[in-house]
Amino acid sequence: MPPCGGDGSGVAPPAASADGFDALPDEVLHHILGFLEAYEAVRTCVLAKRWRHLWRHATGLRVAAADEDAFLESVEKTWEFLDHLLPLREGSPLQTCELRFGELGYNEPALLDDDGTRRVNTWFWHAIMHKVRDLSLYAYFDLHHGLELYDMPLNSQHLTRLEFTGVEVFSSTFLNFSNCPALEYLRFERCEFSYNISSKSLKRLIITSDCFGTPVLESMPSLVEAFIDLEAEHNSYVIVGNIGSNSGMLVIFRWCPIFSKLKTLLLDDNWCMPDDFRALVCFLEHSPVLEKLTLELSSKRRKSEIIIKGNVRPMEGSAAILEHLKLVEVKCMAVDERIFKLLMFLCAFKIRLTTFDTDSDSE
Amino acid sequence: MASAGSGDEKAAAAAMITLISSDNEKFEVTEATATLSQTIRHMIEDGCTDGGVPLPNVTSKILARVIEYCKKHATAAAGEEGSSSSFSDAAFLEVDRAFLEELEEFDDAFLEVDRATLFDLILAANYLDIKGLLNLTCQKVADSVKGKTPEQIREMYNIVNDLTPEEEAEIRRETQWAFE
Repeated sequence: MPPCGGDGSGVAPPAASADGFDALPDEVLHHILGFLEAYEAVRTCVLAKRWRHLWRHATGLRVAAADEDAFLESVEKTWEFLDHLLPLREGSPLQTCELRFGELGYNEPALLDDDGTRRVNTWFWHAIMHKVRDLSLYAYFDLHHGLELYDMPLNSQHLTRLEFTGVEVFSSTFLNFSNCPALEYLRFERCEFSYNISSKSLKRLIITSDCFGTPVLESMPSLVEAFIDLEAEHNSYVIVGNIGSNSGMLVIFRWCPIFSKLKTLLLDDNWCMPDDFRALVCFLEHSPVLEKLTLELSSKRRKSEIIIKGNVRPMEGSAAILEHLKLVEVKCMAVDERIFKLLMFLCAFKIRLTTFDTDSDSE
Repeated sequence: MASAGSGDEKAAAAAMITLISSDNEKFEVTEATATLSQTIRHMIEDGCTDGGVPLPNVTSKILARVIEYCKKHATAAAGEEGSSSSFSDAAFLEVDRAFLEELEEFDDAFLEVDRATLFDLILAANYLDIKGLLNLTCQKVADSVKGKTPEQIREMYNIVNDLTPEEEAEIRRETQWAFE
């Protein structure tokens, strides 16, 4: 039994009323040092005896290789600095890690060579291994070059926020966040990727318009908000997998992108909750050149037995945004009340399925 | 004021927690406010809050400020309907933006305190394990030493340099990579 009531035992009182910076306990000083740029944190080692090694346990690591005015004004300086710093931190856990190499890259292509890539990867994985919760990596150079992250599975019980700028991810291993059960926030800016992104715990996902590639978003049952803005000309198509929510909560695209090149769209159960077709409407309204829509409403891992196909015939008053839509397919196990509601809904949305082919044999 | 505790009052008192400062002043707060403190949250989970929660390390002056912070941030957290996540991760929604702005203004005003109070708030936030308050106050201290030389920091915070000149020179040599 834990001690109850009266005496507040079990928690040691801190030092008596603080009369200064120096009276704070070490753990608090570690935390304060974590808010400083790394080189400033290290420099506190000469304040007094007590301060000599405090910086080694700073809970944050912030490194900004920036313009000429900054301490880390060159690639060489940055390499040297981090090569000294990281071994001295030994195993100290991190809460926050910010690695910013952006400005350097403009003038210093050395950052992009094999050695540079290897180093930045080493530091990235160092942070992951040291229990970082909040990690951001900024490595923007120009439109044609991003930092390549190695193809290794991310595995962390601690990671809750991850932000990338200017990173190339050529691996689907990396983007499978199933081994990051605490991950809630993910942001990509000016990134390139072409693989499936999945996460059971992710609540917020941001992909900005300057990303390119074709991310396949799948299996994000906890997603509450997504801001996916893929208007860049590089996107010839976008595949949207089963993002959605077990709880039935709608994934709201507050700033829903226009999927200006989206021609084929497949949506599964998560997008067509009974009596709630708002997500479907949102997609239809934001996909002006959509030609083929497939709604797969079969239960998981079972092949659909019935496919209802329909050619779309524009009706009077039909929404202009759907003028390119030619084919709608509804795949399901049986034509039940839910399917009936969906068909009624499509009619109400001025989509008329003119032919119904019912296949008993699935493809 | 009712001192919470007798068994038959339990149901009514369930949502209220009494915090007792080091100078024995009692503060009644809602459970939602109190549980911004992980320390108090654990006490509640362990059923250790009957008769009030004594906080022998926190004076009434500081506890009042801490409660002011928790009330504001608990309201904000409750405002994020439908999501059980903490408010701190509220990212980019427009509705959240107004909230966040208001909260930022509150935080800025909250930090308008003298140095001794700031350090007392840090100690209280650390002891009570209130992550948001600890980050806010530690950031404030970190900001105050940004761009300062070691000499300036010592002077600013009355840190006595107990290193001999030789020792200091040696440490500087060891960490030359961070100085030049």
